[in-house]
Amino acid sequence: MQEKKKKGNLLVRFLGNEKYQFLTIPLFAILISLLVGAVVLLLLGKNPLDAYVNLLQGSGILPKAKYAGGKSMLTDFFSFMDCWTPMIFASLSVAVALKTGLFNIGVSGQMLAAGFITTITVGYSTLSAPIAKPLVILVAAVVGALVGGLIGFLKYRFNINEVVSSIMLNYIIEYVVGFFINTRYVNPISRQSQTVSSEARLTLSGTKIGDLKFDIPLGIILAVIVVIIVKYIFDRTVLGYELKAVGSNQKASRYAGIPVGKNMILAMMISGLLAGLAGASYYLGYYASIQPKVLSSTGFDAIAVAILGHSNPVGILGSSFLINIISKGSTYMSSSLGVDAEIASVITGLILLFAACDMYIRYRVDKAKENLDKKSERRESHE
Amino acid sequence: MADYIVEMRHITKRFPGIVANKDVTIQIKKGEIYAILGENGAGKSTLMSMLFGMYEPDEGEIYIRGKKEIISSPRYATQLNIGMVHQHFKLVSNYTIAENIIMGIEPVKKALGIFPYVDIKGANEKIARLSRQYGLEVDPKKVISDINVSVQQRVEILKMLYREAEILIFDEPTALLTPQEIEFLLKIIKGLRDGGKTIILITHKLEEIKKVADRCAILRRGELIDVLDVQSTSTKEMASKMVGREVSFTLDKTPAKFRDVVLDVKNLTVTNEDKFQVVKNVSFSVHGGEIFAIAGVSGNGQVEIADAIAGLMKAHSGQILLNGKDITEYSIRKRTLEGIAYIPEDRQTYGLILDFTLEDNLALKNYFKEPFSRKGILNKKEFETYGEKLIQAYDVRSGQGNRTQVRSMSGGNQQKAIIAREIQQDTPLLIFVQPTRGLDIGAIENIHKQILAERDKGKAILLISLELDEIMNLADTIGVIYNGQIQKIADASTLTTKEVGQFMMGVKNENDKDGREVKD
Repeated sequence: MQEKKKKGNLLVRFLGNEKYQFLTIPLFAILISLLVGAVVLLLLGKNPLDAYVNLLQGSGILPKAKYAGGKSMLTDFFSFMDCWTPMIFASLSVAVALKTGLFNIGVSGQMLAAGFITTITVGYSTLSAPIAKPLVILVAAVVGALVGGLIGFLKYRFNINEVVSSIMLNYIIEYVVGFFINTRYVNPISRQSQTVSSEARLTLSGTKIGDLKFDIPLGIILAVIVVIIVKYIFDRTVLGYELKAVGSNQKASRYAGIPVGKNMILAMMISGLLAGLAGASYYLGYYASIQPKVLSSTGFDAIAVAILGHSNPVGILGSSFLINIISKGSTYMSSSLGVDAEIASVITGLILLFAACDMYIRYRVDKAKENLDKKSERRESHE
Repeated sequence: MADYIVEMRHITKRFPGIVANKDVTIQIKKGEIYAILGENGAGKSTLMSMLFGMYEPDEGEIYIRGKKEIISSPRYATQLNIGMVHQHFKLVSNYTIAENIIMGIEPVKKALGIFPYVDIKGANEKIARLSRQYGLEVDPKKVISDINVSVQQRVEILKMLYREAEILIFDEPTALLTPQEIEFLLKIIKGLRDGGKTIILITHKLEEIKKVADRCAILRRGELIDVLDVQSTSTKEMASKMVGREVSFTLDKTPAKFRDVVLDVKNLTVTNEDKFQVVKNVSFSVHGGEIFAIAGVSGNGQVEIADAIAGLMKAHSGQILLNGKDITEYSIRKRTLEGIAYIPEDRQTYGLILDFTLEDNLALKNYFKEPFSRKGILNKKEFETYGEKLIQAYDVRSGQGNRTQVRSMSGGNQQKAIIAREIQQDTPLLIFVQPTRGLDIGAIENIHKQILAERDKGKAILLISLELDEIMNLADTIGVIYNGQIQKIADASTLTTKEVGQFMMGVKNENDKDGREVKD
């Protein structure tokens, strides 16, 4: 009992250290969610430890027992990064909006719009790779920025709540794109849109290096660069200063002479632009086609990832990595362990749920720490 | 010992970086009005927060009715019949008065003996009864957002009384009230005492203490300096004990030297969101080296005049000229650059971005200019040195200097930061709205000196205040506003406080033939 108490105190001390709370608390949240996930797995009669090892194996972080021809841990990790790339962009998109006090729930729609327009303009063209690939990024960015900007404009000009307009736009984009794919661009066998040319695709699919076949995501390099750019914008530029000001206090921003409306439109444009990049790396990277009438879950998971990463670009790099292990590794886990892929979704859901409890956990920790401090003081004064 | 209803013995409370209370002992008798006097950050509110269970003391003991208690939460404090009215009210603005009052202890009745429901009707009646009993007229069915500050305060008081509080703590209750409302409140407080309640009054306003309190404890920098009998002590003595040095109540004000007209407002009309005219055809001008003060009861359009000049509200008609230039259609930013500094009424909503650091807030009006930024890239080094400079020059105190989140700073220091930022803009026109609201004597004295210094530098000052004393002390010219109209503009030396007060009430109106002349 005494021993247990001491350990509890240690945990509180560890989590209570304010300097590292930005890291320790989200990690603690994830730990709890894994424990709860373990309970779910135990109820299904599976060994949770195996399941979690499977997740890491599926993501190419731990080696599997055996590999098929042309595969290895490294190839798995590359395909993990392939899946990770759009998540980074999407989460940054959410974070930029959040910092400006806006909630972009339309990332998935903006991804789809950008992905579709880019697919039919560049993806189906006969352009050579050195022209097509940059063009994909450019077109997707512009389309995303336009859709995001529209949402910002509607809010600024007609005071339409961005959550409402982006949800509605999600539906409109989903069905309009679905209609065009089904009537004009469908591949009758896969029931998806025709695949884009490999010249345009941002992932170098099936690249042979030695005996191994890699899916090399070029977008990941761009993603890391964009993380740094977004961080720089918020920390070091007039634009970032104004966006943060508008995000934390619109009235004071107006008083200071900051054009609030312009900044909201700008924030949504940047957010949309990033969503566009997510769309490009998703529909013309990780995948090479679009499934009609389906929105990707990436844009929604990104909300939780952004919150888990405290809207901090570097934090997002970390939190998206963790979330992606679960979503990417779940395929292998379900096949190897014989649990349904849905269980992985349940665990992802749990993690996101606990991530949202981040503030609550912090509150409890601070409270516990306060009590602890008091107790030790009392003890000292007795001695 | 049993004489004391509240005893706090050797209380010490530390926060990171500061000792808020250091070995403070106070003893309060049943049925007295006990004032706690001290400057901002002296530890008054902290001390009372511990009595109300919001914090626990690090050292020391609290005795209630002679019994030792560990007050771990406001809920437990309520059980001990302790109630508190906070400086910033804790009301749900879209609930009715009654709903706010019963929140947490809703009277439940059962329909048909099984289905529980909140007996709002009974609550309404009980509240109406209470409000009559204590002279706190309210309509329980009104929604909080529709009633003004002084009525909201009555609701807070009723909330305590509804919970049968015997020990009532008031934290700076008069900070947001007009002179008339203050009078009324003090009367209520006296009435409560005469009804057998014990009152603890946290304040830094000496006149109030002199008017109502029986005894007064003085805190300075967390320490108890003295406990005084109010009747036998002069306000001057209280003030010097509170500040720790001699305080001069009168300012060394040299005669004004008027220069050219800086601000010229012509026939300004401003309408609010409901298209209601809140400022009607107002004209006045302010010279360099002049303090032009607008006196008026709260809500008579004075703040809207300031907002219209600064560009936060649009002028419906009329003209605003700054140094002869028509700025009526200018954006807020352009007006700032043209030469307007503005200390707004609501420092937390308008004046500051609370989640920003102190240095970021101090640069709020400069960040886009060189050397603070160049081609869109911020120069953080400049933010730091500039912040450092202002913090030094204006004695802005905070936990972590430049890097302090402004939210964690005391109200007085927040205001100092705004004033530092605005004065430092070195503009020909400075607009001060309620610059000393909620501040203590030391800080007020300081700000008044700064306003005068700016005037003497040749700046034009527009001062808007609800504190008549402040206006009488500072103004060279006084304009009195009532119901959106300027009633009177005159040289300050030709007006008495009483006259200004009458114009403020709209009683004495020279333009209005039907206005009742009140003879002194």
